[in-house]
Amino acid sequence: MRIRINARNRGFQFDAAPGEAVLYAGLAAGIDLPYECATGTCGTCKAKLVDGRLHDAWPAAPGRKYVKPEQGEYLMCQCVADGDLTLEVAKFVKPLEPGMGRVAAGAGRLRSPALLVHDVMAFDVELDQPCDFEAGQFMVLAAPGVEGHRAYSMVNYERGARRLRFVAKRKPGGGFSEWLFGAASEGAALRVFGPLGKATFSPELANDLVCIAGGSGIAGMMSILARAVGEGYFDSHRGWLFFGVRKLSDAFYLEELSALRARAPDRLSITIALSDEAVPAEAAGRWPQLAFDQGFVHEVAGRVLKGHYKDIRAYVAGPPPAVDAALRLLLLEGKLTADNIRYDKFS
Amino acid sequence: MTNRFVCRIADVPQNGLKEVEAEGGLKLLVASAGGEFFGYQAQCPHQDVALCEALYDGSVLTCHMHLWQWDIRTGAPIGLAEAPLQSYPLAVEGDSLVLGPQPSALDVGELFRGLDSATLAKLAGLALSESHPAGAVLYSPGDPAEDIFVLDAGRVEFTIGRGEGAAPDGFMLKKGETFGWAALLEGYPQRIAGARCLEDSTLMRINGRAAIGVLEGDASAGFTAMRRLSGLIARYLALRGSG
Repeated sequence: MRIRINARNRGFQFDAAPGEAVLYAGLAAGIDLPYECATGTCGTCKAKLVDGRLHDAWPAAPGRKYVKPEQGEYLMCQCVADGDLTLEVAKFVKPLEPGMGRVAAGAGRLRSPALLVHDVMAFDVELDQPCDFEAGQFMVLAAPGVEGHRAYSMVNYERGARRLRFVAKRKPGGGFSEWLFGAASEGAALRVFGPLGKATFSPELANDLVCIAGGSGIAGMMSILARAVGEGYFDSHRGWLFFGVRKLSDAFYLEELSALRARAPDRLSITIALSDEAVPAEAAGRWPQLAFDQGFVHEVAGRVLKGHYKDIRAYVAGPPPAVDAALRLLLLEGKLTADNIRYDKFS
Repeated sequence: MTNRFVCRIADVPQNGLKEVEAEGGLKLLVASAGGEFFGYQAQCPHQDVALCEALYDGSVLTCHMHLWQWDIRTGAPIGLAEAPLQSYPLAVEGDSLVLGPQPSALDVGELFRGLDSATLAKLAGLALSESHPAGAVLYSPGDPAEDIFVLDAGRVEFTIGRGEGAAPDGFMLKKGETFGWAALLEGYPQRIAGARCLEDSTLMRINGRAAIGVLEGDASAGFTAMRRLSGLIARYLALRGSG
């Protein structure tokens, strides 16, 4: 099916396979259509139907609150063409930059699912085709026969990756998440789409690095730190990572974070922020590479970063209230310019 | 005619923001900054995010969604923002804010905003205001390129190629967006694209040669306008990309 997109600055044309979401078909064709979550929540991929017929794969998507269905508006990440289609996108759209990893649909298998804490699971996806991605990017995952698809950030970082690692927080009522915590089994078939996301890190950056993560938002930060440590970024730059959880028993990856810090002990600091309890006495002894503090992650970050806001690039991820509070800190107290704050709004 | 009521001054937090519906139904963001008040479009020009939820420190407004920022005194974009805020100047009447005189499309236009007021007045003297119904063709490829257009309200689409082969080449929908640039350039006597109203639209039409004459009489304004024109052309070239 032929899809035509009338954008503010020009027109685009590409083909979509039956059942393929318009957004995914356009991205795979090398067109940088607007998106953020790519999974029906953020509303960024809004478009207006000009001509043709389509159906909405998820009429109850939370991102629908940003569109006016009576005016023919749809989310491109959810709409599927029923024939040739013309859509209007009221934004400036350009071709994807060459050099970024190719965005494509693929297939893989679930490997090594394991609980990290009671409501967070780590799992790998073994890909049929290797994939190049940037540190901080995410993939959209779906399981055949399971309703809905979900975006998860890669935890690992490598070129030509055959295996991607993810962490998932249990979301009651979330189709894919429920499946993962319930019926999913080793080797289950998965569909993947990506890599996506623009909150990426690469060592050409010349700034000090700040990562502020709440809960499973730590995933993408692990990838960023893995690349930074692996390529000696902290030989010449400072880095701070803040990982917010409710209680110490909710924290995970503390061994992995300790190992990362051990490779850059002079310039990298890692602080675990506990919002709902005082720091247990045993924490410092068990994880001597890490610092612990009580408070919301943005409060802890604010205490540590005071006086260090010059020339930093910040990455933020986590539940929306944590992200908003961190943005407020960085913009209003840190006076960071907006181009030095990177995050992808998942919700 | 009395000025349209916006809100009471006491309802706007000091150095804060408030979304209000002005008399007549226009939704506005009202910002207080050091005792002055500024009115802007209520929604972020990027996406439909309410700007009353933006971060605001009394001078810079930051939309929380994608961190687009603006100077609260002018609405000019800062940093990542790719578009200015549409301004609705306010006036104080007693304990209330009312809508003051509103800027014309020319005043907020991409090429001419902020130019010396005498020069702007001369340009305004050249401008003809026109209304066109949806579907009206403003020009076609090959037509003489004599006038530039500044959009006041509505939506105008562009096409390249003719007849069956005509392909969409973008559209404009914001007050102050300017098209038909060829009329300001030397050596481009004909239109290379077609322009058609997608909706009922009002436009200001300005003869290119006469506009150049005005700009030649004010070298500083002429330089600013030509610099912006180069920027617009470069932007469209960059966004065209290789695809």
